[in-house]
Amino acid sequence: MAAHAVRTQDKGSLTKALGWFSVALGTAQLTAPRALCRLVGADDGGRAPVVMRLMGAREVVQGVGILTRPRPTTWLWSRVAGDALDLSLLGLVAARGEHRVRTAFAIANVAAVAAPDVSESLRLARMGGEPRAAKPIRKAVTINRPRADVEAAWAAASELRDKVDAAGGSVRFADAPRGRGTELVVEWVQEPPLGDLGLAAVKLTGKDLATQLSDDLRRLKQRVETGEVVRSDASPDGHLLAEHLRQRAAQPLEEGVR
Amino acid sequence: MKAICWTAPNRVAVEDVPEPRILNDRDAIVRITSTAICGSDLHLYDGYVPAMKRGDVLGHEFMGEVVEVGSAVTNLKEGDRVVVPFPIACGACNACEAELYSLCENSNPNARLAEKLWGHATAGIFGYSHLTGGFAGGQAEYARVPFADVGPLKIDNGFTDEQVLFLTDVFPTGYMGAELCEIQPGDVIAVWGAGPVGQFAAASARLLGAERVIVIDRFEYRLRVAREHTGAETLNYEEVDSVPEALKELTGGRGPDACIDAVGMEAHFHGPLYAYDRVKQALRQESDRPIALREAIMSCRNGGIVSVMGVYGGFVDKFPIGAVMNRGLTLKAGQCHVHRYLRPLLRHIENGDIDPTFIVTHTLPLREGPEGYELFKHKRDDCLKVVLKTDAAVWQ
Repeated sequence: MAAHAVRTQDKGSLTKALGWFSVALGTAQLTAPRALCRLVGADDGGRAPVVMRLMGAREVVQGVGILTRPRPTTWLWSRVAGDALDLSLLGLVAARGEHRVRTAFAIANVAAVAAPDVSESLRLARMGGEPRAAKPIRKAVTINRPRADVEAAWAAASELRDKVDAAGGSVRFADAPRGRGTELVVEWVQEPPLGDLGLAAVKLTGKDLATQLSDDLRRLKQRVETGEVVRSDASPDGHLLAEHLRQRAAQPLEEGVR
Repeated sequence: MKAICWTAPNRVAVEDVPEPRILNDRDAIVRITSTAICGSDLHLYDGYVPAMKRGDVLGHEFMGEVVEVGSAVTNLKEGDRVVVPFPIACGACNACEAELYSLCENSNPNARLAEKLWGHATAGIFGYSHLTGGFAGGQAEYARVPFADVGPLKIDNGFTDEQVLFLTDVFPTGYMGAELCEIQPGDVIAVWGAGPVGQFAAASARLLGAERVIVIDRFEYRLRVAREHTGAETLNYEEVDSVPEALKELTGGRGPDACIDAVGMEAHFHGPLYAYDRVKQALRQESDRPIALREAIMSCRNGGIVSVMGVYGGFVDKFPIGAVMNRGLTLKAGQCHVHRYLRPLLRHIENGDIDPTFIVTHTLPLREGPEGYELFKHKRDDCLKVVLKTDAAVWQ
């Protein structure tokens, strides 16, 4: 099977980048309005920080819209409108002319991001048909054993099969080229309810199937090829992504720790 | 038991840690008699390898006596004297079947960490950071050896520890560095670094039929060892303006047929580019200082081979890819696939082709390990190799 031959998502990486940019900038504006006022050359007293916060709230809402909707055309156009609003506000700041360099720099930045905003809005606006947001995922491992052995091991791994079934996934087996055993390939379509935002949240918890399979397929391979799950002093339970960043020191285990 | 633990950059300590136990059926426990400090341990010591944790037991060059075996280990029994290869290999995956043991696909339980840094994971290694599995090392009184039915080599003749200890790493590593050069009779081979790996690379290049070997370093005592024990010519880089130019004139204008980098990520040199690399490395803008590698590439003859055995961790700057591409160089590298060299190199020792003990300059008790690290790092007292002895050193 060819790698993703058919485009399955309306949003491209640029669309998503603009969404994350909105969330990040908005969060900064909401949490540090005075610092950002100074950054663009505005007063950090008076009404300016209030306006900054309002604009931040706007950015966050736009970002969330872009990241959660399958085809966020309107949300992207709202970014274009937001750019226009930002430019006019910065124009007012520039007219007072206290920190011309900083304000000019801010204006240049808004103008720079306005270009992709417009091009992405136009790209999504030209799209027809049902919005598409499904993300096909594939996880594969080569196990150095004949196909029958690997199929039998898969059949015996009921917990793992249940996980894949629950995600609506499928598994297929193929002989690895040049007699290198068997390729085991799990495929499924990821379509979380909250779009890219939901996906990021699930990833952080480590509960998404892709993260789990990163462990499970390795452990399956180890069991089939070596008869055991490989354990070290720092990772006594074997390969577990969730434990990777909080390992114990590479020292023999105390009696009874496990 | 006592073990040498990494506690902070430039600090190791002898600490009391629990004794290892069998965790898997294919494990063995080895009571260590001799263990050595490796040049690559210095990269950990100096703090240039990420993924170290306070308390990590160091050491990947060790040998000793089997005191316990798991139920699936049938080739070893209690009392066997063994040398243990530094990479941990399962013997069953595609990499092991192809004898690429340091690329074992199963032995690194932190594979994902390594994949993030290197694209694909490598084998587990004893006492060599969490990137290579987080296995406790062998600078200790005991070590747990996973896949003991694959790695350890039984030594049942009258050799002393020192005669066979270096089969665990530096001898095969140097040998593989030379083997990667595809040496033809009449070849001239240049070796950067006259540390233990460089010495064995030079000696191995001669064993493999090189006509001339030129070893490059700045420490006269190390160059003297190379001249006296490996049959190499030597070049002190502090005495020439440019190593590539000097090598060109030493090889009829052609350049060496193959170049071996036995230096790695913490190279020294003089001049502005060295200062540049130190600053970038200190600021964590590059993880490695590739000075020897740059020189090896620039020196190598057109169409030649550059063999990288010095350890690199991450990313380098000012890499002369233009020279590699336009001059048709071949770059070869790898952590040594020790398992496949154990028997052939033991035979070389038995035949008297080489006596690996020539690199040993210091023998200390394990409890003086921290002093050993300092001696080796600062090359005090003409230090070339430190061997540490446990109280169980009954073979001596």
